[in-house]
Amino acid sequence: MIINIDKDICTGCRECAEVCPVSAIEGEQGKAQEINYDKCVMCGQCVQKCKSYVSIVEHGAEVYDQKRAERNLPATLKEPLFAAYNNCNLDKVKAALADKNVITMVECAPAVRMAIAEDFGAELGTVEAKKLAAALRRIGFDKIYDTNFTADLTIMEEGTELIKRVTEGGKLPMFTSCCPAWVSFLERNYPEMKDNLSTCKSPQQMGAVFKTYGAKIDNYDPAKIFTVSVMPCTCKEFECNREEMNSSGYQDVDVAITTRELAYLIKDMGIDFNHLPDEDFDQPMGMYTGAGTIFGVTGGVMEAAIRTGYELITGKPIPAIDVTAVRGSDTFRTATLQVGDLDLKVGIVTGLKNVIPVLEDIKAGKLDLHFIEVMTCPVGCVSGGGQPKLLLDSEREAAYEARTKGTYAHDAELPIRKSHENPAIVKIYEEYLLTPNGKESHHMLHTKYCIGENEFKK
Amino acid sequence: MNNNLSSFVVACNDQCTGCRACEVACFTVHNQKDNKVAHTVGTVEIPVTPRLFLTRLEEFCLPVQCKQCEDAPCLNSCSAKAIARVDGVVYVNEDLCIGCKNCMMACPFGALEMLPIAKKGKAVKQIGSDEVRKSAYKCDLCINIEGGPACIKTCPHDVLKLVNLEEDRKEKNIKAAIALSLTGNL
Repeated sequence: MIINIDKDICTGCRECAEVCPVSAIEGEQGKAQEINYDKCVMCGQCVQKCKSYVSIVEHGAEVYDQKRAERNLPATLKEPLFAAYNNCNLDKVKAALADKNVITMVECAPAVRMAIAEDFGAELGTVEAKKLAAALRRIGFDKIYDTNFTADLTIMEEGTELIKRVTEGGKLPMFTSCCPAWVSFLERNYPEMKDNLSTCKSPQQMGAVFKTYGAKIDNYDPAKIFTVSVMPCTCKEFECNREEMNSSGYQDVDVAITTRELAYLIKDMGIDFNHLPDEDFDQPMGMYTGAGTIFGVTGGVMEAAIRTGYELITGKPIPAIDVTAVRGSDTFRTATLQVGDLDLKVGIVTGLKNVIPVLEDIKAGKLDLHFIEVMTCPVGCVSGGGQPKLLLDSEREAAYEARTKGTYAHDAELPIRKSHENPAIVKIYEEYLLTPNGKESHHMLHTKYCIGENEFKK
Repeated sequence: MNNNLSSFVVACNDQCTGCRACEVACFTVHNQKDNKVAHTVGTVEIPVTPRLFLTRLEEFCLPVQCKQCEDAPCLNSCSAKAIARVDGVVYVNEDLCIGCKNCMMACPFGALEMLPIAKKGKAVKQIGSDEVRKSAYKCDLCINIEGGPACIKTCPHDVLKLVNLEEDRKEKNIKAAIALSLTGNL
């Protein structure tokens, strides 16, 4: 299972149940808790919250060693282990890295660079994109690509899809589909609204192009490519293993690991993260814009889509690139944006439980919006279940704020801040995809919901 | 005569869920300076060594910690003079502790534990062997730490309080005096 609660360690405090957005944690107070996997959306907020650690006083040092081994964690790991934990996939990554016949490609989500340095002692929200690229290179990945690039690609596809739905009369409101926990929640609980979801794959899954376009430009045999994604998210493992995610002819992304697991790997390989030089991601699919970067915070996908959508509709540059109307941390916020002749009505939901009243209002015809962004974690991916875990809950708010601030600062410092102006994006359409929402994009970058194992009867 | 009684941290309500956030916070703030512990779990390279102890019973649970006794049995019994009273706090000097465990035997509350010592994120070895040095660990009211007792600040249910019994007694006296005056017997 992706998310687990260790019965031997859980004290039954149920603090995790307080943060679980879907009430999936069940059990009596004071007794070890169990996860109801029919409800769990694998967001990992319980993993972030749990403080019930393997104690040398109560359990003994041997139990620590035993639990570390049971959980498939590197033997070099020294950090505390807690009752709630997520599955570790580093063994698969290490095996691929060690195999000389395998070409390893890695992609890193926007939020990873906003937080990974914290696990090496940095202040909260320290942005380390260039050290991150250097670390991935030292680990030995053959291609250091970036989910920020595929986030830009997502905007091209999702922005075009939105315009089509608005102008040609498609299903509205359109929901974002980047957050796999949100998608899974909708599939299980509101399958009748599946057509509201954007058909776009998430940025992670748009990494399908690594095995097609990526193989072509470097003359690699796609059968030999092994793609690893590094995500702030515990649910991305579920997403990459969805059976329909094989447009490239292979499993599009082979393994997803979390920000924390990447930190384990860096330590395990003896890489001194803090003293790495600044390096860049590999070209072309490591080139990214500010728009791709802000996917990591609530309102970011919306803002990135507006930066591009505005220009696609009006043919003019957006007057103010910082779309402050969609920023903020309110759990549900709406804005009306003037886009040419269109009053584009948008909504942003952050924190999965806050989507329920929104969905109910839509069903009751009480809410009239064109586009809604939904993120499961409290302030978006920077607060994801796979991010560096705070020791003190009193620092949680400060951490989220600092990681959000870091995200916007990184966006502001990048020379290009609109997805459609990313030269590597322009090039991939010229050379391979041809046109957003076109035939090849549709096959490679779009998906279906509520199919196969994810078809749930209400 | 100055009759200042030592303050101490104690569980003051029955809302404890047993989440261990107090133990983790205690460990964290005591190891930020010498053991490179920063904001996240990933910066921890040593075993968690708390100075208060979650105690779980069938019906309820509570953290138990030092009462900073006025005539402290741990201090009196220490064979290495490693325990001293510093600003009202019964304080263990880890460098002097020889791990004789007299304090553990003497303490009626089980408020001390022998735990491994670490410096700069590494276990400290004994001089004569490869075994890890241990010291008595107990609540020191976070006297050397900015912001005061971390356990109190972190508890999600406000279970823990810093108690000053003299002020508490004076408040009770005032209430009792007011009550007496209202009876009309004065």
